[in-house]
Amino acid sequence: MSMLKSKPRDMLAIVQDEMIMTDRIAALITQEPRTIPELAALLEAPTYEINVWLAAMRRYGSVEAVGRADVDGYFKYELAAEAPESEGQE
Amino acid sequence: MKPNNDRPDLDYDVMIVGAGVAGMETAASLGDMGYRVLLVEKHSSIGGKSILLSKVFPTLDCASCIVTPKMAAAAHHPNITPMVFTEVDEIGRNDDGTFKVDLHRKASYVDFDACTGCGQCEVDCTVSVPDEYNYNLVGRRVAHIPFPQAVPKKALIQRRGQAPCTHTCPAGVKPSGFVSLVRAGKYAEAFHMHLADAPLVGSLSRACYAPCEGECSRSDTDGTVHIRAVKRYMVDRYYAEYPEPEYGPVETQRDSRVAIVGSGPGGLTAAFHLARQGHQVTIFEAEPYAGGMLRHGMPRYRMPKEVLDRDILNITALGVKIHTGEKVNSVAELKAMGFDATFVSVGNQVPRIIPLEGRDLPDFEMQDCMSFLRDTNVSDELPDIAGQHMVVLGGGNVALDVARTAIRMDAASVSILCLEPREKMPAHEWEVTEADEEGVQIFAGGSTKRIFTDDAGKPRIEFLKVANLEFTEDGKMKGFATEAGTEQSIPADLVVLAIGLGPSTKPFEDELTLAATGTIKVNAQTLQTSDPTVFAGGDAVLGPSIIVEAMGQGRRAAFYMDRLLRGEALDVPFGDELDVTDKQDVMDEIAEWDLRPQATLPVRPPRERIQSFECYEGVFSETEARTEANRCLNCAQCSQCQECVRVCPADCIDFSMKPEPMQLKVGTVVMSTGYEIMDPSNKELLGFGRLPDVISGPQMDRLLAPTRPFNAVLRPSDGKEPESIAIVLCNGSRDHTVCNPLCCRIGCMYSIKHAQLVMGALPLADVTIYTIDVRAFGKGYEEFYEQSKGMGVEYVKGKVSRIDPLENGNLSLHYEDMLGEGGLQTREHDMVVLTVGFLPNTEPFALYKGSELEADDFQYVREIDPVSEPARTNIEGLFAAGTVNGVRDIPDTVLHAGAAAAQAASYIQGLGGA
Repeated sequence: MSMLKSKPRDMLAIVQDEMIMTDRIAALITQEPRTIPELAALLEAPTYEINVWLAAMRRYGSVEAVGRADVDGYFKYELAAEAPESEGQE
Repeated sequence: MKPNNDRPDLDYDVMIVGAGVAGMETAASLGDMGYRVLLVEKHSSIGGKSILLSKVFPTLDCASCIVTPKMAAAAHHPNITPMVFTEVDEIGRNDDGTFKVDLHRKASYVDFDACTGCGQCEVDCTVSVPDEYNYNLVGRRVAHIPFPQAVPKKALIQRRGQAPCTHTCPAGVKPSGFVSLVRAGKYAEAFHMHLADAPLVGSLSRACYAPCEGECSRSDTDGTVHIRAVKRYMVDRYYAEYPEPEYGPVETQRDSRVAIVGSGPGGLTAAFHLARQGHQVTIFEAEPYAGGMLRHGMPRYRMPKEVLDRDILNITALGVKIHTGEKVNSVAELKAMGFDATFVSVGNQVPRIIPLEGRDLPDFEMQDCMSFLRDTNVSDELPDIAGQHMVVLGGGNVALDVARTAIRMDAASVSILCLEPREKMPAHEWEVTEADEEGVQIFAGGSTKRIFTDDAGKPRIEFLKVANLEFTEDGKMKGFATEAGTEQSIPADLVVLAIGLGPSTKPFEDELTLAATGTIKVNAQTLQTSDPTVFAGGDAVLGPSIIVEAMGQGRRAAFYMDRLLRGEALDVPFGDELDVTDKQDVMDEIAEWDLRPQATLPVRPPRERIQSFECYEGVFSETEARTEANRCLNCAQCSQCQECVRVCPADCIDFSMKPEPMQLKVGTVVMSTGYEIMDPSNKELLGFGRLPDVISGPQMDRLLAPTRPFNAVLRPSDGKEPESIAIVLCNGSRDHTVCNPLCCRIGCMYSIKHAQLVMGALPLADVTIYTIDVRAFGKGYEEFYEQSKGMGVEYVKGKVSRIDPLENGNLSLHYEDMLGEGGLQTREHDMVVLTVGFLPNTEPFALYKGSELEADDFQYVREIDPVSEPARTNIEGLFAAGTVNGVRDIPDTVLHAGAAAAQAASYIQGLGGA
């Protein structure tokens, strides 16, 4: 898990990466739901930024939270039932 | 009596500026009285800041339930005209007590009448920006509906001029668009978007000199986005998947017949665009193969002929016929064949020949550059120059093409001899460098004197050092002198002249007006020649140009030829573009960003690449292409990727939309422009903007709203449900450190509302409110306060001085304990909400011209007598409603709006009939 030790990146810089990172997140949660810290570890990205990208995915209908938060307070996220398919093949 | 019948000279009885709670309420009151009300709102939805709240205090009613009915009432009232996304520019008072108003409706690029608010454009938009409606907690798309309850619920597209790359492309290609689509992994869409503007996608990906890259904003920081390489990945992928075009001729075919003379980039582009309009297009090409300079002039290592062939299929798939080996000798000939219009794009392929002493010596050969390149590019067998010493005269790109081609043909040596010093050679610097790496010898600053035979009977070329080379202001060579006694010579079995090309326009000199240089004279706007049915473009008009310039002319000519053939006037502008984005705006945005240097393409080493004519430049992988595309800074915000256009079911996107200026006469004006929220990053020690889990009150409202940005109330740093939340009051209100001594009047109840809502959303969470004191002055406020204590909210009387991050991701909050143990204390929380102060909105002062609209001591609009005549300002007939006079809660704002409506109505009545 990537804890924020320094000032987070500017929000414009974070959302600029959304188009690429949402595809990467989608690829990681295709097989099993994952929490933000798990995604952050896999993508080597700050949890703060994962949260922003997941919010975009949720807003546009490609991801949804699974049930309730776990004992540590984190939700797992999975692809929405009718998630729009990404054309990126990375 | 309908008051509006009394003043038919007025466009509206009342103009209300700002459509928050006060504006809507004032409008509704006046509308109910029968006045014609114009409700102007600069944002694209009415509702103000209140509609973004979660709930309201002290009733905890849903904010939407309170505000939405007011929005609906204002939007649908028969006497109210809401005018959203409109800015008031200037308000002035007329002598008769009415007001004249200059305003403009901003360009939304969406036809609001047609938009159904489906949001599909937003889903498919490829650019994200911070979402101001969620107070920058998350992003939103550039094509967007501001928020779910927006009224009117219409999309708009956020644009900031036109991206420099797109603005500069002479062919009208939109690099910002296809780069954005590649970033989003939409490769086929990227190809089709490019194709719609310029059909030779593959050729451009290989051979374009990419003026777009020269203008890229990123070139001022860590290197231009490698746009051409991104395009190369896109088109290679597409052509691999689609060896043939996916489309055929357009459905609506017309009878009009168009002849195009020459199949270079200009001609092919004109043919493509004309065929897409349904015209019957035939291209006549004198050479055996189509493609013009792309085919005959560009070496294969840069312009693979199979790529060009595939590009040409993009054009012929539309039904365009190409007759190769058919030279056109006159326009009259084409007219006789029944063509209604002609585009002459014969190019610039007549080589300039200079007299050269000794050229007739035995064993010496001299060629022109076009013959040499044509032979090497389209002949079945390459000319045999193995073992020969070759000298190319000239320092331009064509000379470099000849030399670099020859170095791949086993010549004993290849040299370039040019007049210019190396740093002033017309060829691109990178090309000179690559030629140098490949073993081409460059003799820059030399003037040919003669060819002679040495003692061994071998021909040599002798040249002198150029002593003085003069250039015109635009960089063209004007004249030169040589330095006597500086003769030197090099072996020269073969000399190729690459010292300039002239236009191939001779066949048309009796029919079309030519310039002294031989280029065809045209109308600069339409490209129409002296013969109205004949248009011309490309190098035949421009002289030597780059591919995209020729393609741009083909596209432009096609536009006007289409109009001519339809019988439409030609005096209309071509293209409808915004001004270029100010790069400084972009630079300011990215000032603190980390650098991401340009990705470099793999290039074969020089010794390896000269062994064949294969392309020596590699291709990005998919990851590399997307990563490089992601370096694009979205200079213009909207990338013009056209995805919104493609997916909009109502066909309501209109990029040609312009701001609509208006001038109106109204009876009275009510200012209800609201307040501003203080930026808590001004309180540096509290960490807002530096610590993600220190958020502002408005952000907390968004986290609590049903339309919240996250799936639950989560802390922003890692999406965890917070367990211990601190709410800190009075940040920027009652605070002389930010020059705001005023109590905000809202913060205490606002924070108690947050506390109660958090306890409802997160029943196990601890909530602590840090306060100087709690001011519960309104009806039901004290009960609301007591209720929160009963729910378990802890109150700490203490001023918070600093918030620090902890190793475990939580926050350490330092405060002065005023009631408990006293002294400086520290507590740990996992999220902190800063209840921020409110500031005056000073916009009204700038809008009113004439005598000064007066402010009070705190820069709110001054009410001249708040007790007996609320809402009256010092300008007779101009009123101020709601928080523009000072911060109020919603009930007080509604009351004040009622007062403003009464004042305005009274004033209108006093104006009497016209």
